[in-house]
Amino acid sequence: MSCTLGEVKNRADLIIYWGGNPAECHPRHFTKYTIMQKGKYVPNGRKGRTMVLVDIRETPSAKAADIFLQVRPGKDFEVLTLLRAIVKGQRIDPRAAAETGLTLEQLTDLADRMKRAKFGVLFFGMGLSMTRGKHMNSAAALTLAAELNAFTKFVAMPMRGHGNVTGADVVLRYTTGYPFGINLCRGYPRFNPGEFSSVDLLVRGDVDATLVLGADPGATMPQPAIDHLARTPTIVLDPKVTHTSRLARVHITTAATGITAPGTVYRMDEVPLPLRPPLKGPYPSDEEVLRRIIAAVRKKPAWEPDPAGVMAG
Amino acid sequence: MLTLTLLEPPTVPLEAEVLSPDVLAPLSHAEVRALPVYHGKRRLRLDEFFEVEGDGSDHVTLHGDLGRVRWVGRKMTRGHITIHGPVGMHLGAHMRGGHIEVHGSAADWVGGEMAGGTIHVRGDAGGQVGSAYRGSVSGMSGGTILVEGAAGIEVGMRMRRGLIAVRGPVRDFAGLQMKGGTLVLMSGAELRAGAWMTRGTIISLKPLRLLPTFGLACDYAPAFLRLYARHLAGLGFPLPADGSYHRFTGDAAVPGKGEVLQWQPHPA
Amino acid sequence: MLRITGGTVYDPANGVHGEVRDVCIAGGKVVAAVEGGRTIDASGMVVFPGGVDVHTHVAGAALNFARGLIPEQHRKAVPVVHSKLRRAGLGGVTPTTFATGYLYAGMGWTTVNEAAVPVLSAKHTHEELRDTPIVDKTCCVLMANNELLLDLLEAGEYERARDVLAWLVWAAKAYGVKAVNPGGVAAWKWGKDAKRLSDPVEGYGKMTPGTIVAALARMVDDLHLPHPLHLHCNSLGNPGNVDVTLETMKVLEGNRAHLAHLQYHAYGGDDWGTIRSEAVAVADAFNANPNLTADAGAVLFGNTVTITADGPWQHLLFQLTGKKWANLDVENETGCGVVPYAYKPGSPANAVQWAVGLELLLLITDPWRIYLTTDHPNGAPFWRYPEIIRLLMDRDYRREQLNTIPGAVHSRLVLPELTREYTLSEIAVITSAGPARALGLPHKGHLGVGADADVAIFNVDKDPARMFAYPRYVIKGGEVVIEEGELRQVVEGRSFAVRPAYDEAVEAYLRPVFQQQYTMSFDNYPVGPDRVHGLEVVGPATQAGREPGEPGA
Repeated sequence: MSCTLGEVKNRADLIIYWGGNPAECHPRHFTKYTIMQKGKYVPNGRKGRTMVLVDIRETPSAKAADIFLQVRPGKDFEVLTLLRAIVKGQRIDPRAAAETGLTLEQLTDLADRMKRAKFGVLFFGMGLSMTRGKHMNSAAALTLAAELNAFTKFVAMPMRGHGNVTGADVVLRYTTGYPFGINLCRGYPRFNPGEFSSVDLLVRGDVDATLVLGADPGATMPQPAIDHLARTPTIVLDPKVTHTSRLARVHITTAATGITAPGTVYRMDEVPLPLRPPLKGPYPSDEEVLRRIIAAVRKKPAWEPDPAGVMAG
Repeated sequence: MLTLTLLEPPTVPLEAEVLSPDVLAPLSHAEVRALPVYHGKRRLRLDEFFEVEGDGSDHVTLHGDLGRVRWVGRKMTRGHITIHGPVGMHLGAHMRGGHIEVHGSAADWVGGEMAGGTIHVRGDAGGQVGSAYRGSVSGMSGGTILVEGAAGIEVGMRMRRGLIAVRGPVRDFAGLQMKGGTLVLMSGAELRAGAWMTRGTIISLKPLRLLPTFGLACDYAPAFLRLYARHLAGLGFPLPADGSYHRFTGDAAVPGKGEVLQWQPHPA
Repeated sequence: MLRITGGTVYDPANGVHGEVRDVCIAGGKVVAAVEGGRTIDASGMVVFPGGVDVHTHVAGAALNFARGLIPEQHRKAVPVVHSKLRRAGLGGVTPTTFATGYLYAGMGWTTVNEAAVPVLSAKHTHEELRDTPIVDKTCCVLMANNELLLDLLEAGEYERARDVLAWLVWAAKAYGVKAVNPGGVAAWKWGKDAKRLSDPVEGYGKMTPGTIVAALARMVDDLHLPHPLHLHCNSLGNPGNVDVTLETMKVLEGNRAHLAHLQYHAYGGDDWGTIRSEAVAVADAFNANPNLTADAGAVLFGNTVTITADGPWQHLLFQLTGKKWANLDVENETGCGVVPYAYKPGSPANAVQWAVGLELLLLITDPWRIYLTTDHPNGAPFWRYPEIIRLLMDRDYRREQLNTIPGAVHSRLVLPELTREYTLSEIAVITSAGPARALGLPHKGHLGVGADADVAIFNVDKDPARMFAYPRYVIKGGEVVIEEGELRQVVEGRSFAVRPAYDEAVEAYLRPVFQQQYTMSFDNYPVGPDRVHGLEVVGPATQAGREPGEPGA
């Protein structure tokens, strides 16, 4: 249940941020796309919109919000699930609801606002998608938004982290059918997050070499994953020295995309934007380095996967 | 009788869906040895990894640290596999019949989308026991999975029929989006058991921290439970003879008609 | 250089209906004669111009959104295993880009028209098309809910609207103009729909679906675009929508239009319980309107995923099926919905849909105006086309298949009474010559001198489904890509785009409006020509207004 950000700008009269701190992490979000904009159908801009912030603590974003709802840590899934039930008119025990840190009245008020909105949007951040419950927390936000469409127009969108995560997701989907967590060992794509996602592969030590592109797992992943990166051959393509490049066997310095190399970045709503480098630099782009690696690999004896190795259905 | 002993643990995962009585039973010793397995991206012979004793058989015994050996018993319909040692992901996935016994622990996805047969894990199991694979409408649709130790997250996710019983504690989201069947938790579960369930039964002998979208319906000592208890006792998972059950229903978010039966030591 | 000898050639655009003759190829084109070079002995085989798909969804944000939603279907798909020639991928209901090229070419199709491109994400569509090998490509840009246009039409500024449309076609590097549920998607942005042609469009005073359809068709003709307005009528899939379809034919007032997936627009009845075929009424009206072409949008039983810019329809499907649903609205332009779906022979409604697609193909008298499609992947994935060819060519098989649907449905159909069987020549028309002509691609869909050397050679087989699923040879642009049924070579395809004429001053008008309503910089909006791989720009048609039934160019 999603839309491009211009839909939010032109139409949204209810904007909910959940588990994120856009004031500090996505500073342009308010001014460019959401609350501060005058939209085609929201001519009064900020006055025409209600902003709700849901988080476990009062971040600077709370100042921008009309309503701040403080959820007890680890209760996001519970709150979203309660909202699904309330939206459908199910009866809820107020004492059970109160365990989430919000009262049934607060929850019912939010549900009513969501149903009454002409166009509602729920942006959810890593405070939701990366905490206990992970993908199920995201699923809860998306499901709630989908179900609200029985009453009004409602969309939900993840606030992705830094870099071109969305772009990688998009390209992998059209080349392999899957967004991430993909294995090509049998010569065709297979998908199983948890089994094939890079963090799980590294933590379990399931790979014997790693190519790192546009990421710094050495700074963000759990220690066993970092240890495995250090233990096995790791190759990093990055414009700068990173935690990962320090433990890598090979670091190839590449041009910074958007600064000294052209490219395409996908916005969090999957709208592609062309990048025009303002500067020239001495380093090759990631693309050029990868092309050269592929060309060099082609000179080696070809790896031909077993056509009979397809795991049927 | 066919006995396979892992020579040494593989350096990267070894996919060996050929380790199923359906594949092995009709084969000669030499044919078994030549079967293909996939070590990372390389197709290799089974005997590069296993010492093979005996001819193909419906009775297969595996020895060694098989923690990186995946897909054992995939789609099997008959026979017995006995594993001495830990075993990797997807044990008995899509299984339709036969019996798998693990004297050790099993990784994630034990009995993923299985339709029949029995899997008995003496040690711990990973997450997604008897679950649906990502995107699938339903998980396990029949058969029995017994786990003596603990289990991970999303046990019985979207299960439609069949029985899963876990003696040790299980982690979050047990019975997630469950549609039918029975999940027995002898030592309870961490958070969010029964989340988004539509039908089916979760029996827990320990108090659960249920979602606020579950409601207490009644106190309960139903007749069917006595029958079920006899069946479970036969499997080595006896339910207490005394006490009663709090019956919760939910998940109201769906809204669903699942039931969670939580044992109460003293009759209310 | 290549000579195909001894084959029985079907080249209906040039009046050749099953004659043994040679086809000579040089420089990627069909030529009168060649000296030397390779010879393919096609004795006993059938030679067709390469297939042309006038309406398919093979690339773009909506399709890619769908791909991410259905891992369970991908697991059941036939995968493409990586080889020296092939990139890894998946077949199934939404094949991956490389697989799409291999699969189309693998059944003798060499040109495809991606039928739904928003300008805002056209860059992305072209990225996907770049990775779709072998076939040549065109695409249609979504216009019927574009608010820049609708606002101008509301204000009565037809000429400026036409300039904006022309500018947008070129900005998207598109080939044609698509209209999806005119006004209905704009209304969907408020959770509403516009089902009837006279319904007001939510958010507008004067606009109705009828006025939008009429204005767009007129613009496309005024601009002499080679392909007529590509129209997905209002009220898609709804029981009783036949009235809307017939009314749409009227409001076009003689302007050209291509009616997409006509099957979904030919239903009677009041609800899903009483839905019945209205193929006779639709076909009769269609036969009487020579300004129209159409594609079938046929349905086959089985699993698929439905993807359309028709958001309201998708939300209804979601409510009917209770399955997964995803919706993606694109600012100021369009929206799209995705719902996985299974057509079941036991479902009376699905049985009606299955029959209506075939009925239209059999009832529309001029094969030059109706083309084979399934609105891939909505009715069925494109790689199932050969099954439809068999249903068209073999009435006994059709009768057998009628027995698999509930007998009580037969009285709501006309299919049991239809005895027509397609000839091979007619199959060549509905799969190649006809759609090439409708697209206005004079070098496609035939084997006359000067045509692109896109050729499919089939073994004669009494089962047309098998015959057309496994061509013996496929030649694309003069290169043999399939030989003995195997992929032998992967060539790159081209992309055709149209540059219609517009007043350059329109940019000065657009820039401030755009900055107000969009969220990206105006300069980043158009697709740069360098971003379209194999771009070939064609001007507006020189013989615009040519009757679709007229003999070839």
